[in-house]
Amino acid sequence: MPFRRLATAKPFVTLGLVVAAWIVVPVTIKTLARASFYELTAPITVVASYARDLQQYWSLRLHSNGELIEAGRDLARLNASYEFAVQQNTEMQAEIARLEGLLRLPAFANYRLEHVRVASRDFSGWWQRIVIRKGKNFGLPVGAPVIFTGGVVGRVTEVHAATAVVELLTSQNVRLAGVVEGDTRPISYQGGLNPTFGPPRGVVEFVPLDVFASAAAPKRLVTSGLGGVFPPGLTIGEITHVDLSSDGLFKTGEVKLDERLGSVAEVTVLVPLTPE
Amino acid sequence: MRHTLATFLTLVLLWALVAQGNHALSNLRVYLFVGGLFVTYAALMLPWRAGLATSLLGGLLCDANAPVAFGTHLLLFAAAFAVLWHLRDRLPREDTVARVIVALLANLALFLVFSFTQIGGSPVPAIAWPRLIGDLVCSQICLALIAPWFFALQHRALLLARAERENLA
Repeated sequence: MPFRRLATAKPFVTLGLVVAAWIVVPVTIKTLARASFYELTAPITVVASYARDLQQYWSLRLHSNGELIEAGRDLARLNASYEFAVQQNTEMQAEIARLEGLLRLPAFANYRLEHVRVASRDFSGWWQRIVIRKGKNFGLPVGAPVIFTGGVVGRVTEVHAATAVVELLTSQNVRLAGVVEGDTRPISYQGGLNPTFGPPRGVVEFVPLDVFASAAAPKRLVTSGLGGVFPPGLTIGEITHVDLSSDGLFKTGEVKLDERLGSVAEVTVLVPLTPE
Repeated sequence: MRHTLATFLTLVLLWALVAQGNHALSNLRVYLFVGGLFVTYAALMLPWRAGLATSLLGGLLCDANAPVAFGTHLLLFAAAFAVLWHLRDRLPREDTVARVIVALLANLALFLVFSFTQIGGSPVPAIAWPRLIGDLVCSQICLALIAPWFFALQHRALLLARAERENLA
């Protein structure tokens, strides 16, 4: 009878031993195990991503010459306007440098732009992140800001041998300081509202009382540059409504984020040229 | 050892396929979680040591690819394995339908426990639950659809590795 009881309790005794063993295992071994298991599976993610790109390449090959000529013409027009913007940008950069020299202001942080393909997207109710196809091999640092055509994507949280993990703006762990476009007072932004089939949203806190926004007249929320991670002026999203907070001193509200975050295929990592 | 390796390789395949599914579904904000499949076959069909080792390796595989404290999946899968092993003699484990039902129940329990461990950081936890319930429904449907194939795959992998005899199918 005692033997039978012992046999019945065997799974739970073993579970207790596993838990106890896991608690006493040194952090170094856990870190090594995590890195090993990640690097074991990273090639699968990357190969699948290349296979998708190849699939897209072959599907694009099916386009007719007429369609390609039209796309080329549109691109040429776009390039012309971008070339004009680049010339203006160069002039402005020179002006900023001149003013910084005159007023002895600290220079803005400079970044190297690293364009990267997205290997996989992982958007659960618990976390939102993407894996990109460059890592230590391209000198990406942890904490580097990541952007795309729609504005901020997130920041690099893990860097591995040939891949890196980016935590998205929609994730509940992302908090950053933003400002309403044209204003200088900082607002706290936090991600975390990601309804099924709906656009991602975030929340803003400490919104000044004189800021009004609605779905019909949204306010653009941009990065403030405070904290030193994101350069100022990058789009976070649009504040679609604000309500008075419980303490009555500020307002809280919701931010509608870019829907393209859910299908982003290429991003740009801003690698600081002067790492801290 | 052969049991563990053959079954673990099928878990790697499952993980890769589900990751691709989640990548494709990301623009719909739907996420598939099939943790129940990582433990069900191992707990119901494999010998004690091989089953436990497979479940633990599956947990480490999931932990390495998720932004959670390393060991979260490992401990959850170990707990699910212990419960299923405790019940396995009382279940018609040779029957595929029974295995699928067990996998669904295990997945439900793992999803809920995992959600409670992760939802604390949300700015508005109450709003996160409808999303999680939506994910859970989609995950359960997906699991019910792929579970028979996956159990057959695991069985074939064991046969291929000569770790299982045909008559134990």
